Amino acid sequence: MNRRAVLRAGAGLVGAGIVGGCLQTESRSVRSPPLVADRPDAVYHPTHSEGMEMIGSTTAGEYKVAAMYSYPHRFWEITGPNTNKKELDGSHAMHLMTVVWDPETRVVLPNAGLTIELTTGGSLVDQTNMYAMLSQPMGLHYGNNVEADGDGTYTASVDIGSVPDDRVRRTGEFRGRFTDPATAEIEFDYSQSVRDGLSYEEYDDAGERAALEPMDMMTPSATVPPKAEVPGAVRGTDTSGDAVFVVAVQDAVPAGIEGDGQYLTVFAHTPYNRTVLPSMTLSGSLSGSGDPFALEPTLDPELGYHYGAAVSEVVDGRTLSITVDTPPQLTRHEGYETAFLDMPGAEVPL
Amino acid sequence: MGLDESLPRRQFMKAAVAVGGASALSACLGRAPRAGEPVPEGVSDSSELPQRQHAWNERVRGDDEGNVHLPRHQTILYLNVDADGTPRSDARETVEAALRTLDRAYERSNEGLVYSVAYSPSYFERFDDSLPDSVDLPEPRRLSGFENPEFDTQDTLLHLASDRADVVLEAEEAMFGDRSEVNGLAVADRLGDALTVDDRRTGFIGAGMPAERQTQRGEPISGIPDSLPVPEASPLFMGFEAGFAGNQATEDYVTIEAGPFAGGTTKHVANLRQRLGDWYDEQTFEERVMEMFSPSHAEQGRVEGVGANLGADSGIDAFLDSETIQQSIDEHGRVGHAQKAARANRDEDGNVRILRRHVESTDGDMASLHFPSLQRRLSTFEEVREAMNGDDLTDNPSVRQRVNNGILEYVFVQNRGNFLVPPRRYRALPTPRPA
Repeated sequence: MNRRAVLRAGAGLVGAGIVGGCLQTESRSVRSPPLVADRPDAVYHPTHSEGMEMIGSTTAGEYKVAAMYSYPHRFWEITGPNTNKKELDGSHAMHLMTVVWDPETRVVLPNAGLTIELTTGGSLVDQTNMYAMLSQPMGLHYGNNVEADGDGTYTASVDIGSVPDDRVRRTGEFRGRFTDPATAEIEFDYSQSVRDGLSYEEYDDAGERAALEPMDMMTPSATVPPKAEVPGAVRGTDTSGDAVFVVAVQDAVPAGIEGDGQYLTVFAHTPYNRTVLPSMTLSGSLSGSGDPFALEPTLDPELGYHYGAAVSEVVDGRTLSITVDTPPQLTRHEGYETAFLDMPGAEVPL
Repeated sequence: MGLDESLPRRQFMKAAVAVGGASALSACLGRAPRAGEPVPEGVSDSSELPQRQHAWNERVRGDDEGNVHLPRHQTILYLNVDADGTPRSDARETVEAALRTLDRAYERSNEGLVYSVAYSPSYFERFDDSLPDSVDLPEPRRLSGFENPEFDTQDTLLHLASDRADVVLEAEEAMFGDRSEVNGLAVADRLGDALTVDDRRTGFIGAGMPAERQTQRGEPISGIPDSLPVPEASPLFMGFEAGFAGNQATEDYVTIEAGPFAGGTTKHVANLRQRLGDWYDEQTFEERVMEMFSPSHAEQGRVEGVGANLGADSGIDAFLDSETIQQSIDEHGRVGHAQKAARANRDEDGNVRILRRHVESTDGDMASLHFPSLQRRLSTFEEVREAMNGDDLTDNPSVRQRVNNGILEYVFVQNRGNFLVPPRRYRALPTPRPA
């Protein structure tokens, strides 16, 4: 009997084991507390947090991959400025997560197009797209709620679909990298009792403008350094939709980008945890010099993920206007689903 | 796996095909005795049949709109030649004799049997000669960065199709089992004497069939959510009609014109698993129309229900220009599946380049899709699939590799195989350079 059958059958059975298992599973979704009534249009403290179980890491092609799981989560898919809540429906056993990074530089790859195939005993249990996701405790990761077929040894086969060039420009030593797909296999034991032993905590200050602290994912994390440590000369910051833009100027244009002047970089991150905010469409314009230009999503081994444009010179006293044409197209965990959606233009005097 | 005799007839027949074997056939015949519903007989001379093994359109059901309705029951058998090296002439004679038996036994139609036999690039590697340049047949390969399929490199593909479940079962049993007659005709030569079945896949198509089959033994099959959302009227799990006549290549168009294999075609067969929980439960009908057809179809309310109102053409050709696509992405954050693929599926004169003959499957209790596609050159299919990937449309970050990118979030390629469907004269274990 598959898990869904167990859940459904549980209602009509008196077998304590089955009913017990059933209640355990169901209690989790019941215990996911209702959302707070007045969520701010900003990052807010979620109602609860859940622990996670690291299940392994491996190298595949030029990628390093780690996987972990937690309880199934509710989350929000994003299309343009719209959110679509993915409800828990009781059919899922866990929230499966992966982080993918470059082993050498430990730069986290946010647009790698992941698919996961979960098998046990050679038969397919679930197969799904892994959304690029944003979570306060878990940062930038890929994840989805998946089914399981009871306790046992599972193989998570992670298909990494490469990082599309159209999506993320690569510079420096990253030129030509991350273009080949690869498959990583991670074997792990799953049991409902281990899952149910993961920590679970509810909070009184849910809904307040704050964030849970990042947990140790035992992997590199996609974060922008504190302002003082941001590469280049930091020239100013502004916020939009609760996102922070740190504007810095690099003296040289990274290899792979045309231009022999300076390189204007915008590092976009969440408040509190400074998690990188990728997958936006940004454009900029400098006061007094007219034409708007694209701030291209770029992955560079030294600069990390940023939005950048080559400019002839960034003159003191000018203002950089940043326009957000598309907010971060990242699936959001609770506490991030109302932020970074309505994003007015930002103005940064340089 | 046993057959549940209490199933309604239609479900029972489909279940019998999925299970296969002599007992399934006899259960089928017990349920619907041949005497009560005779199967039309075939031709005494196979040369009366067309050279094109893929000439099915005139021999199966059509509707008033001109759409072709593929036979309801299909079995796709992946076969290996028993001996190593170059096939011997006696094996070739056995195969031809066996196929002639099928030709005599069953009318080449949906009420009898339509079938074709095809050969892989691996098969042709058995020979010193290579295929002529007039045949474009690469080895199967990965066709997107986000798929990791198993490649079907068996020698031979036998594709059986009929509206009669008992016919596809009987043909298979006569060719590979121990059934001694086919439609009353004695069987002397069997394909099984020269070929061995490596894999057996089954499919079905037709209004009502996916809705009936979204559960097995009272449980939703894998890929189908508990809401059992597949519409009764839909011929496919995803809830829409497909393969409109106006969006399909003609049989003429996909036929190889020159060289020894003139009259043949190439065939790509993929298997795609479907995971439809989010497709149905998280999306509105309009969003499904946007992702299956195009955002413009949703804006203009072009699709009603399963899309029967579209007649013989989905109308997708009106929405293929890059300006329309860009505008749709900007306004809706999505691009349509049909819209993306069709961009590469038209020639300079607007003719459709590939002929899709896909059917649904519940093999392994999973919702999946067997996707045969016919085209003159196999690489044409690869070009269409590349357009379907939409890699060129992801500069707006709302369209991701799978998300908001047609139906890519819901389908997962499991297998790919490439085959040459030779003309009838070379259908039995052909050499790469037949004289």
